[in-house]
Amino acid sequence: MTEPSATRPSTPAHPSADHPPLLEVRGLSVRFRMPGGRHVAAVSDAGFTLEAGQCLALVGESGCGKSVLASALLGLLPANAQTAGTARTAGTELLTADEAVLARTVRGRLVGLVPQSPAAHLTPVRTVGAQLAETARALTGLRGEAAARHAAGAAERAAYPADHLDRYPHELSGGLAQRAATALALVGDAPLLLADEPTTGLDRDLVEHTADELRRQVDRGRALLLITHDLAAAQRTADRVAVMYAGRIVEIAEADRFFGDPGPRHPYARGLLNALPERSFTPIPGLPPELGDLPAGCAFAPRCSKSDGRCASQRPVFAGGTACHHPEGAAP
Amino acid sequence: MADRRPVPFAAPAVWRSRGGTRRSTRTLRIAASAAVLVCVALAVLVVPPAVDLDQQAVDLPSKLLPPSAAHPFGTDDVGRDLLLRCVYGLRVSLVVGLVAALAATVIGTAVGAAAAALGGWTDRLLMRLVDTFSSVPHLLLGIFVVAMFRPGLWPVVVSVAVTHWLSTARIVRAEVLSLRSRPYIDAAVSGGAGRLRVAVRHLLPGVLPQAGLAAVLMVPHTMWHESALSFLGLGLPTHQASLGNLVQTARGSLLAGHWWPTLFPGLFLIVPTLAVAGLAGAWRERLNPRRRAELTL
Amino acid sequence: MARMAGRRVLLAVPVLLLVTFGVFAVAAASPFDPVTAYTGTAGLTASQENLDQIRANLGVDQPFTARWADWIAGALRGDLGDSAVLRMPVADAVAERLGWSVLLAAAAFALAVLLGTAFGVLAARRPGGPLDRCATAIAYTLEAAPAFWLGLLAIWLFSLQWGVLPAGGLTDTASDTVTAGQVARHLVLPAAVLGISQLPWFYLYVRQGVGDALDEDPVRGARARGLAERTVLLGHALRSGMLPMLTLIGSRVPELITGALLVETVFSWPGIAAATVQAATAVDFPLLAALTVLATAAVLLGNLLSDLLYGLADPRVGFDG
Repeated sequence: MTEPSATRPSTPAHPSADHPPLLEVRGLSVRFRMPGGRHVAAVSDAGFTLEAGQCLALVGESGCGKSVLASALLGLLPANAQTAGTARTAGTELLTADEAVLARTVRGRLVGLVPQSPAAHLTPVRTVGAQLAETARALTGLRGEAAARHAAGAAERAAYPADHLDRYPHELSGGLAQRAATALALVGDAPLLLADEPTTGLDRDLVEHTADELRRQVDRGRALLLITHDLAAAQRTADRVAVMYAGRIVEIAEADRFFGDPGPRHPYARGLLNALPERSFTPIPGLPPELGDLPAGCAFAPRCSKSDGRCASQRPVFAGGTACHHPEGAAP
Repeated sequence: MADRRPVPFAAPAVWRSRGGTRRSTRTLRIAASAAVLVCVALAVLVVPPAVDLDQQAVDLPSKLLPPSAAHPFGTDDVGRDLLLRCVYGLRVSLVVGLVAALAATVIGTAVGAAAAALGGWTDRLLMRLVDTFSSVPHLLLGIFVVAMFRPGLWPVVVSVAVTHWLSTARIVRAEVLSLRSRPYIDAAVSGGAGRLRVAVRHLLPGVLPQAGLAAVLMVPHTMWHESALSFLGLGLPTHQASLGNLVQTARGSLLAGHWWPTLFPGLFLIVPTLAVAGLAGAWRERLNPRRRAELTL
Repeated sequence: MARMAGRRVLLAVPVLLLVTFGVFAVAAASPFDPVTAYTGTAGLTASQENLDQIRANLGVDQPFTARWADWIAGALRGDLGDSAVLRMPVADAVAERLGWSVLLAAAAFALAVLLGTAFGVLAARRPGGPLDRCATAIAYTLEAAPAFWLGLLAIWLFSLQWGVLPAGGLTDTASDTVTAGQVARHLVLPAAVLGISQLPWFYLYVRQGVGDALDEDPVRGARARGLAERTVLLGHALRSGMLPMLTLIGSRVPELITGALLVETVFSWPGIAAATVQAATAVDFPLLAALTVLATAAVLLGNLLSDLLYGLADPRVGFDG
C-alpha cells in the first residue's frame, strides 16, 4: 500500500481559539414511536466528544442502541424516530439539519459511513467502480476522467484492488466488500468516519486487517467513531472506549486503562471483558432489558452482583467516567 | 477530556421528529368499502322485488332525459329509467359473476387438490395443462368459447369459469402440498387411508378458507369478464341486460352526445370492484402491515 | 443466454400444439355448422349437393383430429385457410392487420411504462403523501374500469365535446390514402386509452419496488455517501426497484391483448384484435383459430422477453443450465 498523494493534510481543522472537538455529542436521545402510542428509547442522554486523529470505540451488546446512534448522526433514522439533544461537527448541528443540508454538506463530506454488511449497502445492479465514480462526481464536482481517477485514488487508499472495480457487489468476498465500503467512505475525504460494526461476519484475519485499515485512517488525522460489539477489534483500534448498555453510555475510559490496568469501573464493562474467551469466558447472567420497558433505576441492576435498593430505584448519574452507584476503583 | 464534564441527567425537553405523522385512512376505507357492498347487496336483493316498476317499460316521450330528480341517472334511448336499469344490470352481472366464480373455484380446487394429492406424473400433466391454459389470453379464450357455443347465459358462465380456475388451482395445490407435510396427515396415511381419501377427508377442509377467499376476490374479475363479452356482443342476450349490455346499447346514444347511459353502468362496475379491493387490501395490510400497497385487486 | 432462449422456444412447441388441438376439439363439440358460417345467407337457398360439395371442400366431413393435422401441415406451409368474414386468406388478413396492432400495442405499452414509472417513482418518494394518495386512488379506479368504457368516454369527450381528435378508424373518411400524419392523429386516442388501461399495473409495481428499495440498505448506503436525492432515487432506488416490474413486463402481453380486443373494437382500429371479435361474431373458425394461436405465440414470446430482460438488467441472474 503506497502513501496516497491526493489526501488532505492530516492536521485537523481548528476553527476557533477554544479548540472545540471535531464531534461533540451532548444529551443525545433517540426514541421510536410505536403503534399504540408506545415509545422505545433506543438511545438515552448520550454524551461524548471525539478529536481529530482519535478513535472512540462505542461497544455494547447487539441491540443496545449503538447503531441507532450512528444513524442519528447521519440523519438516516426512520420516519417514526424522534431525537433530542445536540451533536455538532465543524459548526454543523447534525440533529436539526434538514435533509438538503445533510445531503449536500454533511454526509460523505463531513461524516463518512463505513456500514455494517457492506455488500448489502451497495446497489446490487451496479458495479463497485460505477458507484465509486458516481460518489466522486457527487462529492468533488469532478467529471469524467478526473472523477474516475479520484475514485481510483480512494479505492487505492482503502486497499481495494483496481482490477476488481468492474465487479458487482454480489461478486465480492467479505473482505473486498469491506474495502469497497471503506473506499466509498473515503471518497469525500470526510474528517470524521463512522464505522458501524465493520467487522461483523468477517473471520479473525479479516477482522484484524479491517481494524488495522481503520486505524491507519485515524493515524492520518481522521476521527473515527467505531461502533462494534467486538472488543478485540476495539482494543486494536481505539484510543478511548465508550460502553453502552440499554441505550445509555455507562462508561467512557482510555483504551489502555480499560483493557489493561486498572480495568473498567462499571460492572457491566467488567462483565463484557470477563466474557471474552481469552479471559475468564464467563457470560453476564441474564438478558438485557427491553428498550421499550426500561426500569426506573439502573438498567443493569437486575443482572448486577453489586446491586442494592438504591440501584433499583435511582438511576446513577454519569460521573468520574462511569454511571454507577458502586464503581470499581477510583476516578481516573 | 471533555467527557469529564458530563451533562447532568435530565429528561430531554424537546423531541424532534423528521418524518411527519400521517393519519391512516384504513378505518375510513374499510367503512366505505363495507357500506358500498351493503348497498350493493340491498340494491340487488331488495329493489327488484320491491319496486313495482317494470324496468323494461318503454316510454318514448321521455327518452334520453339527462339526470334529474325524477331520474337520478337519466333515461335511456327508449325512455327507461337508468338507475333502475343499472340496478337490474348489476344484479345480472353479479349473478353471472358469482356462479362463474363458484364454478371456477370448484374446477380449480379439484384440479389443484388432485395434482397435489396424486403427485408424480398426474401433477406434472395437470400443471402443464394449467400453464397451457394461462398461455391463452383470458378474454380471447372466453371469446372463442362463446363464439363456438353461441351467446347466451350458460356459454358465458362456462367461458368465464374455464378462464378463471387457473389461479385457484395453483393456490390449492400449493396449500395442499404445505398441509401434506403436517404430522396428522402422515398419521392418516400410515393408518392405511388412500391418497385420494386423505385428500378429500383431511386436506380439502384445510384449503377451503384459501379457496373461498380466492373465490370472493375472483367475483370482480368474473363480472368484468362477463361485461367485456357482453359489450362485444358475445355475452348475454339483451333481454337479460347486464352492465356490459347496457354500455353496448348506449353506444348509439353516446355518439349522439348523450353521455349518461354510458357513464353510469361503468360506475356500477367500478365502485363495487373498488369496495372488494378495499376490503381485501385492508385484510392483507392486517396480515402484513409493512406492505404499503397491494399489487392485485 | 442463447441456450435458454432456445430451450424456451422448444418448450413453446408442445404448448402451441396443445392449444391448437384444444381449439379444434372445442370447435368439434360446437353446435355450429362451419358450412352455414361459410355460406352465410346464401346457404339458405343453396342446394344440398352444393352444400355437400362445400362441406367436402372445407374438409369438415372428416374427424377433427384429421382436420387438426391438416391445419398444422397447412400452417407450416404458411396456409392458414380462408376467412369467410374477411373474404380473403387468413394469412393475408394477418399480414395486413398485424402491423397496425403492433403499432397500437407498442405505443400504448411505451406510454404505460413511461408514465407508470414516472408516477410510481414520484409516489414512492413520499409514501402516504398527497401525490401518492391521489395517484394510487386513480390507479385502482383505472384498474377496475373496463377499457371499452374508458374508450367510449374518451370518444365522447375528445371527439364529440371538444372535437380535437378523431373518434375511430385509421384515416379520415374522406381520404383513401394512408398518410403518417393521419395515422398519428387517429392513433392518439386508442393508444392513450389502451396505455391508460395498462398503466395502473406498472405504476403500482414501480411504486412498490421503489418504495421497498428506499427502505433498504443500498439506498441507506447511497444516502450515507452524500449523494443527491435525485441520484439516490433514480440511480439506486429505481435501478433496483424496477427489477420486479422488468421481470413481469413480458407477462403483461395477455392483458395487452385483452385490452386491444376491446380498444380496437371501440375505435374501429383495423388490427387483428378487432378482426378476432369480427371472426367470433361471425363464427369464422379459420380466422378465429389462427388468431387464437397467434395470441398464444405472442404470450409465449412475451414470457421469453421477460426472462431475457431480467437477465440483462440483473447481474445476479445467470443463464447457465
